[in-house]
Amino acid sequence: METRYLIVGGSAAGMAAAHTIRKKDKTGAITVLSDEDTLPYFRPMVPYILTGKKQVPDIALSGTGIFVQPRIDVRTGTIVTSVDPVAKILTTASGKTWSYDKVLFATGSRPYLPETVKGLDSPGVFSLKTVADAAAMAQRSRNTDHVVLLGGGILNLKAAFALLEKKIKVTLVVHSPEVLSQLMDPEDAFLIRKALDRAGLKIMTGCSADHVVTDADGVCAVALDNGTQIPCRMVCVGKGVIPNTECVRGSAITVDKGILADPFTACSVKDTFAAGDVAVTHDPATGEKTVTALWTNAVDMGICAGLNMAGIPTRYTGTLGIMNATQVAKEPFVAMGRVHTKGRDLETHIDKTDTTYRKIVFNKEGTRLVGALFIGDITHAGMYRYVIREKKPIDRIKSHLIRHTLHYGHFM
Amino acid sequence: MSNYKEIFVKTDKCTGCLTCKIACAVEHSETKSLFSAIRESPRPVSRVYVEWLPGNAKVPVLCRHCEEAPCLNACISGAISRSDTNAVITDAGKCIGCWTCVMVCPYGVIGRDQTLAKAFRCDRCPDREIPACVGACPTQALVYETVDGFSKTKRKTVSRELLTREGA
Amino acid sequence: MTSETPFQHLTTDPAVQQMLAKAKENHISTVWDRYEQMLPQCGFGETGLCCRHCLQGPCRINPFDPGAETGICGANADVMVARGLDRAIAAGTAAHSGHAKHLAHTLLKMARGQAKDYKITDPVKLKKVAARLHIAVDGRADTDIALDVAKAALADFHEKDTPVLWAAGVVTPGRVEVLSKLGLVPKGIDHEVAEIMHRTLYGVDADPVNLLLGGLRCSVADLAGCYMGTDLADILFGTPTPLASQANLGTLKKESVNIALHGHNPVLSEIIVKVAGEMADEAVAAGADRINVVGICCTGNELMERHGIPSCTHSVSQEMALVTGAVDAMIVDYQCIMPSVASVAECMGTKVITTMDICKITGAEHIDVKEETAAENARQAILQAIAGFKKRKNKPTHIPALTNTVVAGFSTESIVAALSKLNAKDPLAPLADSIKSGNIKGVCLFAGCNNVKIPQDINYTKIAAKLLKENVLVVATGCGAGSLMRHDFMDPAKTRDLCGNGLFAVLNAIGEANGLGGPLPSVLHLGSCVDNSRAVEITVALANYLGVDINQMPVVASAPEPTSEKAVSIGTYAVAAGLPTHVGVMLPVMGSALVAKVLTQTVKDLTGGYFIVEPDPDKAADMLLQALNDRRKGLGLV
Ligand SMILES: Cc1cc2nc3c(=O)[nH]c(=O)nc-3n(C[C@H](O)[C@H](O)[C@H](O)COP(=O)(O)OP(=O)(O)OC[C@H]3O[C@@H](n4cnc5c(N)ncnc54)[C@H](O)[C@@H]3O)c2cc1C
Repeated sequence: METRYLIVGGSAAGMAAAHTIRKKDKTGAITVLSDEDTLPYFRPMVPYILTGKKQVPDIALSGTGIFVQPRIDVRTGTIVTSVDPVAKILTTASGKTWSYDKVLFATGSRPYLPETVKGLDSPGVFSLKTVADAAAMAQRSRNTDHVVLLGGGILNLKAAFALLEKKIKVTLVVHSPEVLSQLMDPEDAFLIRKALDRAGLKIMTGCSADHVVTDADGVCAVALDNGTQIPCRMVCVGKGVIPNTECVRGSAITVDKGILADPFTACSVKDTFAAGDVAVTHDPATGEKTVTALWTNAVDMGICAGLNMAGIPTRYTGTLGIMNATQVAKEPFVAMGRVHTKGRDLETHIDKTDTTYRKIVFNKEGTRLVGALFIGDITHAGMYRYVIREKKPIDRIKSHLIRHTLHYGHFM
Repeated sequence: MSNYKEIFVKTDKCTGCLTCKIACAVEHSETKSLFSAIRESPRPVSRVYVEWLPGNAKVPVLCRHCEEAPCLNACISGAISRSDTNAVITDAGKCIGCWTCVMVCPYGVIGRDQTLAKAFRCDRCPDREIPACVGACPTQALVYETVDGFSKTKRKTVSRELLTREGA
Repeated sequence: MTSETPFQHLTTDPAVQQMLAKAKENHISTVWDRYEQMLPQCGFGETGLCCRHCLQGPCRINPFDPGAETGICGANADVMVARGLDRAIAAGTAAHSGHAKHLAHTLLKMARGQAKDYKITDPVKLKKVAARLHIAVDGRADTDIALDVAKAALADFHEKDTPVLWAAGVVTPGRVEVLSKLGLVPKGIDHEVAEIMHRTLYGVDADPVNLLLGGLRCSVADLAGCYMGTDLADILFGTPTPLASQANLGTLKKESVNIALHGHNPVLSEIIVKVAGEMADEAVAAGADRINVVGICCTGNELMERHGIPSCTHSVSQEMALVTGAVDAMIVDYQCIMPSVASVAECMGTKVITTMDICKITGAEHIDVKEETAAENARQAILQAIAGFKKRKNKPTHIPALTNTVVAGFSTESIVAALSKLNAKDPLAPLADSIKSGNIKGVCLFAGCNNVKIPQDINYTKIAAKLLKENVLVVATGCGAGSLMRHDFMDPAKTRDLCGNGLFAVLNAIGEANGLGGPLPSVLHLGSCVDNSRAVEITVALANYLGVDINQMPVVASAPEPTSEKAVSIGTYAVAAGLPTHVGVMLPVMGSALVAKVLTQTVKDLTGGYFIVEPDPDKAADMLLQALNDRRKGLGLV
């Protein structure tokens, strides 16, 4: 009998799994249930929808990279509300049920909206996650000349630049002493901060929003905890994400922050798998359990889940909790593994020039590379990732790691 | 195992003359001629790298077009794909310069055009029968062969051993 | 008739094509094979972006790597390229002047009675040169004058109170002024070469423009070396006068003892020719009909100009002479002798004989030829050739049945003499008038070598054909002359077809007035590569006659297939002299936009001359014509 695969969530993890299954199982029925109205797309490209530089079809997954397999049935607009993993049945919001032989939960994550800030449900408050969000923000931004962004993380920076490109003034309200606090210590961020300032971003650190002030047209200002108010017609919240676990709640599937996945991407109930932002996995750099919000991790884990679902046992080697590469304000940077070293017992080497910044982090014994941060010059970053992730012995290459002279020849 | 030709490196034959780098840059220029490519703006860049090891070993490194290519999985804009000839190629039109591929490539062979914010790498010279670097190598340190053909002469797997250990 | 041969892409000389087929058949590696094996050539070298001037190097600047803009010492691409070019100029200068110095020593020894095999052949030229040097001539014995000339020549090599006389004394007054202003008057020939070596040393001159000016000054010293070489050779061996000869591989004779003289200096080749003439009996005794001396490269030009000795082949095809199997000895002195001739000779069962202690080749036999014992040494070498003939006389040879008729023997003196048949009182008038009237649009000098990167001779013949049709008077030296003669450009029977009407009328008038019963050849052979001085001498004479400086003259130079560093130094002195100078091969300077610009543009504001770098012969011809037209316009001529 043909295997019936069901995949909840049609994004990085879900689609990577679907295409991997199809590569290995030419006959099984693969159905992807997605609550979004659009066919799967590259989520990180959403800011380009906001700027208008790309249209939704331009960023479609299908037909690119690994997403080239045939016969994958994607059902959009389908919200899964519950699962009975023993009976192997899913129920959707419309009441329809789906039976399956194997199911993957790739429901991803959604923006975290802190309850302490009142008024985040007002018209004009957004967070940038989906193409629908982007379209709505683009719509609202037409009548707006100033947007306040709550949070100084990478997502908000991307949103900020997209808005800036639309010639809209942006102010970032950042609780931490510096932007990108999830990805680096405040001291590490000065080059990026300089670039952001140069690019015209207004950044207020060390303060938070208290509440959103509204009038008949929705948002009209943000009141800060320091008593000041910033008038604006639009707010964008970027304060991290939380896993979408609702549909498995109440089932036998174990949830601890996210859906727990074993090293073979399986959940606590047989024939149930999880991958991507929703899954709890482990970080090979720290050995700790972790949930991530990374496209690359979601794809890798989705591929791994796909193989396991297709009957090819494959171990997931985990992901670095921090593994970000991007370019903000013409400043490329990469942060990988353990990069927060302030007050920690780690061997840290910092090397800075007026255009580059490099932090190389070893464990406290100095015997293993555990993290690396590159700003301005990210050459050979991939080799550092490889050394961190594979826990490579470093005795012969340590000085190269520190001096940034490492190259492939050193591995031969 | 594929029947497509790949670029193999015989490190013992490399003299470090960097002729491959020049040939590569010229092939990836507008004018395709050294003397005019040198005057192009922006200057074309090479996708081959020649590293050096103590003991004076010279190691040409270029995109291996891995079977399980981490960059292919990692690309967040759909710019990286596998070509008909099994090469892993970056579509500059789709590339947004997020450098995720650079972060995940264990060989360090993906280059960056910071001004255009585009990643680039070896494309095995699709317009040529033999890639420019291979054709240019005066010592045949670079060879263009199928895996089978190459192992018949000499197998120096610089490509796979790293990646078999990469999860996925 | 001639169907496509498989070697057309290598050479346009049909005789050489035949020999290439033979070489291929016999698995003889030729320069063309080795070139192919050498490909691809190093782009750093091609663009001048490598430096080995110190032991911290070698350094190379990758033009496509924005991160690597300097060598280890900090020298940037401009400095690296300029230094490299300077050293090429110095090498060329050292070679031409080394040739001249050899002649000066010979003259000195002759004058002192230490070189009995040499004599003063042209006392008129001796006195002309002496007068230019302000050496007293009246009532003095020729040998005494010669001694002073030789001493003056040797004195020009080092720094002294006066500048290099063979530079400052041979150009127009206007040119002396220009060069003085720019600090380009050399102080001593060897001094300039040494100074280039000094300033291009690790950690000395790092200003590309200053370096290039140094190179220009050295090139003026090269002009001096060339000029001196011509003067002294004319004194010792005679100033050329028109004569008929033959060219190409068909000049080798199966039944004769064939001696190929290869290299440059008539100090050697003249003595071989002389002694060979005395050894006919020995050749006959060995079963030969005679001794047949033929020339290769510039020493062949020297012999052809003075004695009508046939030119066998030139430059890139030198190995082909041996491939015929008919050469019984190749006797060489120095410059442009590919070491490969020794191994080709070995394959063919013959010999290369080296004669100079600065030029020995593994696999060749060495017979030291000294001025003091020249005839005896020559005899030894010729005996080797006769022995070689005995060994090969019954073996097959493969001599292409191809020869070209050549009328050569042009020099300033012989041209002026020919012109004086038209106007005895004012011999330059007919030439000057023809230029003014447009019958002659201008003059182009072809110089230089063949280069394996270019199908042999194609650039010379294409450009010359186009210029001749446009009534440009074409003169040639060195392997440029060799190239054109092997394609009938020096055969007067072809002048009508090759030249435009105006030019033909002039060449025909001179020929008729000189009793030739027809025109001069379309291209006038001025001699070897040092004899580029003759082109300078004629240009200077005409400029003085017209009352202008060289940089106004409708005269251009072209080295369309250069190989040797000597071609670089010649090209550079042509630019220093004020001439638009075409080069048909990329100079190793493209790595520096600045240097390339200085050479092709900026220098124009300084000397009036400039380089035209253009590999395409058709475009090059057009550019040369354009340059001539610009100059004509400058003089108010149409
Ligand atoms: C603007 C932006 C930029 C980003 N840039 C980068 C970047 O540069 N690099 C990087 O590594 N990561 C980036 N990310 C993060 C990356 O996009 C996510 O980590 C990745 O998309 C996670 O993939 P996923 O498949 O696990 O989940 P998601 O992409 O979150 O997809 C889950 C899907 O499941 C759907 N779903 C959820 N619950 C249900 C349900 N009950 N029924 C049906 N469907 C459901 C969701 O609507 C969604 O479509 C970015 C994210 C955003 C928003």
